[in-house]
Amino acid sequence: MTTSDVPPDGSAVDPALPARIAAAILAASREGPPLVSCSVIAAPAGHPAQPGDKMLVFQDGETLGALAGAALHDAVRHAALAAIPRHAVETAFFTPAGEGLTGRRAVAEAAEVVEVLMEVVEPAATLLVVGGGHVGRAIGEIGAILGMSVAVLDDREDYANRDRFPFADQVICGDFARELDRFPITANTFVVLVSRGHKVDELGLARVVGRGAAYVGMIGSKRRTRTVLEHLAAAGVDAAALERVFTPIGLDIRAETPEEIALAVLAEITLVRRGGGGRPLSAHGQRLASAL
Amino acid sequence: MPSDEVYRAIESAVTAGEPAVLATVAQTFGSTPRKTGAKMVVREDGSFIGTIGGGCGEAEVWQEAMEVLDGGAARVVTVDLTEPTDGEDKICGGVMRIFVEPLGR
Repeated sequence: MTTSDVPPDGSAVDPALPARIAAAILAASREGPPLVSCSVIAAPAGHPAQPGDKMLVFQDGETLGALAGAALHDAVRHAALAAIPRHAVETAFFTPAGEGLTGRRAVAEAAEVVEVLMEVVEPAATLLVVGGGHVGRAIGEIGAILGMSVAVLDDREDYANRDRFPFADQVICGDFARELDRFPITANTFVVLVSRGHKVDELGLARVVGRGAAYVGMIGSKRRTRTVLEHLAAAGVDAAALERVFTPIGLDIRAETPEEIALAVLAEITLVRRGGGGRPLSAHGQRLASAL
Repeated sequence: MPSDEVYRAIESAVTAGEPAVLATVAQTFGSTPRKTGAKMVVREDGSFIGTIGGGCGEAEVWQEAMEVLDGGAARVVTVDLTEPTDGEDKICGGVMRIFVEPLGR
């Protein structure tokens, strides 16, 4: 898996390359780490890169396959690396010389355009819901709708069972501390602490904070959650890691019911995954929001 | 995000050299049933795995997929799902650009 597999001019194509690319994509979709599948989907006639040409770009910048035309190859490689943290799946536009084109007008006005479909391939984001109560159930359900792989943990059989969570990939009934210690947490894991009480949430937070999750959120009022953070800071938990905890949890949409709270939490998680300002896009919505 | 089944079908078609076609949503405008990255694999016997949105859009892509299976080149197919109403701009539905490419060739 090196950049020297195929020279950028496309000569000496390895006949086994398509199979190696397909196998790498399958592996990335199952276990990660993420990679970016880059496919030329349109190019001007006569350009050395033609529709169907493919290259994989790995997190460390290595590539498998190459796009013809060194300038295009380099530009796509850079754009692909930038796509990984955004989990992006999108078509990007380049001039035949490899200059990136952004904005509809730039693309429309360019005489010739190479279109490259760039897909970040990675395992589905995991949503670990700690606490199988009403809020946890609603969060899991919306998470599943959004395509996340949902895991639910509770220490009560009545709240951690298959019947209650038919949409979950994993339902874990067991001791919170022990199960959290052995649950794999990656940069694509989103942890939501919504258990029956802040004592359990505090215990849960202590077990997951600082382990590299994409998101850790904990439910509770401003006062309660501040107390929990103070306890953990006093117990020696890294202050910078505690600062990255989303607590109180969720976007401010004045959520009241468990389902509304779940919506606010998943909106916040989507914001973390995709970026964005978390504000209404319309002027009217902004006036309404700021009037509250 | 495409399912494990779709990635497996792609991998087995490519590895075994079984002719098949992969259709991937490359770009969408407006409201479309599936988003960029959705995939459908069409095999020579007409069976398919995955979906790019169903309905008439898929039927149009099917035609192109058969041409690609017959040795045609990879191409982008634009599927217009908007329904023009009398005297109105097309406002409902959306437009999808779908990349159709041969596998196992």
